[in-house]
Order: sequence, then structure tokens, then C-alpha cells
Amino acid sequence: MILLPLLALVIGIVIVPLIGIMPLKGEWARYIAVASIAGVDTVLGGIRAGLEGKFRNDVFFTGFLANVLIAFFIAWLGDRLGIDMYLVAAIVLGSRIFTNLSLIRRWLLTKWQDSRERARREREQASAAASTTANP
Amino acid sequence: MTNPFLKHVNTKSWEWPVSLVSLLLGVMISLAWINQKTQAERSEQLPPDIRRRYIEGRIDLNELTKLSEEVSRLREENTKLQNAMADNSKQSKVLNESLQEVKMFSGLTDVEGPGLTITLRDSEDESSGMPEDRIIHDGDVLRTVNELWASGAEAIEVNGHRIVMNTSFRCVGPVIHVEGVPIAAPVMVRVIGDTKTLEGAMKLPGGVLDELRSQDPNMVQIDRVTKHRFKAYAGNTVRKYIKLPEAKK
Repeated sequence: MILLPLLALVIGIVIVPLIGIMPLKGEWARYIAVASIAGVDTVLGGIRAGLEGKFRNDVFFTGFLANVLIAFFIAWLGDRLGIDMYLVAAIVLGSRIFTNLSLIRRWLLTKWQDSRERARREREQASAAASTTANP
Repeated sequence: MTNPFLKHVNTKSWEWPVSLVSLLLGVMISLAWINQKTQAERSEQLPPDIRRRYIEGRIDLNELTKLSEEVSRLREENTKLQNAMADNSKQSKVLNESLQEVKMFSGLTDVEGPGLTITLRDSEDESSGMPEDRIIHDGDVLRTVNELWASGAEAIEVNGHRIVMNTSFRCVGPVIHVEGVPIAAPVMVRVIGDTKTLEGAMKLPGGVLDELRSQDPNMVQIDRVTKHRFKAYAGNTVRKYIKLPEAKK
């Protein structure tokens, strides 16, 4: 469920050195780094939306593209203007990552508690049913 | 499924798009990863404070001391070898003499001579002035060294570090760095040169140390020394970009 995106992430990270592409150099690497923080935020947002049942393909893909490009552009613009604008992107996206993660955690926690509660009820019902059939 | 909310939830369709993008994200992260090769270049782009922390984390002080000692030993050996070579002929003897002169000038040999020891201490008098005025800064050391050169100093050492043409002083948080090696207060500036001239320069009214002295006279102490002995410069002397211009024939 959430494991599939995580697995994909790990595969993505591992596949690049495996097929022999070296990490980028210079400014590009830095912009990509900021852009990947935006990507992390969007993917977590997507997982969250998926768990909450609000997931929409179009929103997710455009969101990913837009966030990555905007983060990239902010970092680039900051370098041109001599302001550390990538920090702005990093701070905003970082705080959103925290928010998304906490919501995912809450959702999983609720679901877990919910399933336990349901299992308990079913056991009770089953035992009640058993007792009623035992004493007709 | 008895949960009424879960009935309308599309539980499967989000996984594949998210995984696809997640894969792309993994590739991006991998591309921006800092590895051994891109490390040096990336650190140049870090903001100065982060870069400083990053570089300092990589200096192993014990290793540095050990290597410096090794360098001193090898340089000494080099001098001995040059001397031995010079014994062979008169020509090479002359050459060697001029070589040793150059080495002495640039601080690559041990030297000794009369001079001063100037001790700069942080003030312990907490009653006057701002806290930042009560401590010795990199600028104080730098100005002192500069003034000493200006008044004819021939060799200078700061807390055991020989000062050569490319020695730098930097302030890193609470400590001063001499060529990237932190030194602690009190700062001992030892100098070889004409004792009287140097002392005059250091006691000049309105001079470099006057400000410190007016803050707290105990911050500056000047002692005459009849014989200093300085070790040779043990830092890096490898030059990458400068070359001798080709001689015209």
C-alpha cells in the first residue's frame, strides 16, 4: 500500500549508480536537490490523498511537475539575485513534509485501531452467536 | 466492509501513479546525491558558514600534527642533503648557499635570534566595555603581525605556527584559526628582529595595541627575549598555478 511507492523510491535511488550515471555536478545538482525536496513533499501529499480517498491523477501529476519546477526556479532565481532563496523552498517544503507525514501517521494509526476494534466486535458477535446457538 | 466511509474510497488507483513519480523522485535524489567526486565542487557552492562547518568537520587535528612533524623532519633532511651535495664542488656550494638563504627568507628553515614575545590575553575585567571588546579577535592578531612586519620583523611565530607569506588568520566562533588550525587564548606572538624598533612599534600611542591596552592594560604584555628559536614552516608549499616564466635567451 504505502510500501509500493517506498519501494519505487529505493529502486529509483539505486538504479542511477547501477546503470552508471554519475551524480550531477555544480549548480544543477543543487537545483535538483531543492527540486527533489519538492518531489518528496508531493509524493507524500499523494500518499496522504490516496489514503484519505481524495486522490486524483491530474492533480497529483500537475502538482508534482509544478512543485518541482517552482522549487528549481526559486533556487535558480535566488542564485541569480544573490539571495539564498533555496532556503525558502527548503523551509516551506520541509514543514509541509512534516505535516503530510503526521497526517499519514494519524491515518494509519486510526486505521489500525479501527481494525482492532472491528475484530473485537466480530469476536463478541461470534461468541454471542455461539452462546445463542448453544442455548436455543 | 462494514465501514461506510471506506465504500467510496478508491483504494487501488493511487498506488501506481504515486509509485511512478516516486521512482522519478528516487532518480532525482540520486542525481543530486553528494558523493566523493562531486564533494569538493559542491562544497564550493555551499554558503560560507555551512562550508566552514563542513570543512572543519573533516580536519583531524592529531593527524595534522603528525603530518606537520613529518614535513618538518623531511624538510630538515632535505637541507642536510643539499648541504651534503654542496660539499662536492665549489659551484654547488655557492648554489646551496643562495638556496639556504631563500629558504630562510621564506620560513622553510629553523631560525633563531633576539626579539620580543607579545602576549595577547582576553580581559578578565568584566566591569568595563562590551563583552566583545574584552576578547582577542583575529583582527587584533592580524594587525599585530602586520605592524611587526612593517617595523622590520624578520620572522614571526604565533602560538607555535610560523608565519609565512600565505599565512591566514580567521575567526571561527570563539577561536582564532591560523591556517585552519585553531589556537587558544592567550595568543603568543613571537618575533625576531630589532628589539628596540619592534618594542617601539608595539608601544606606539594610537598603534595597533593601544585600543586593547585602553580597554584593559592586562590584555597586552610585551617581553624582550634575547634568543628565540622558531621551527620551520610545516604547512603546504605545493603550488598548482604559479610557474616560473621561461627565461629569455
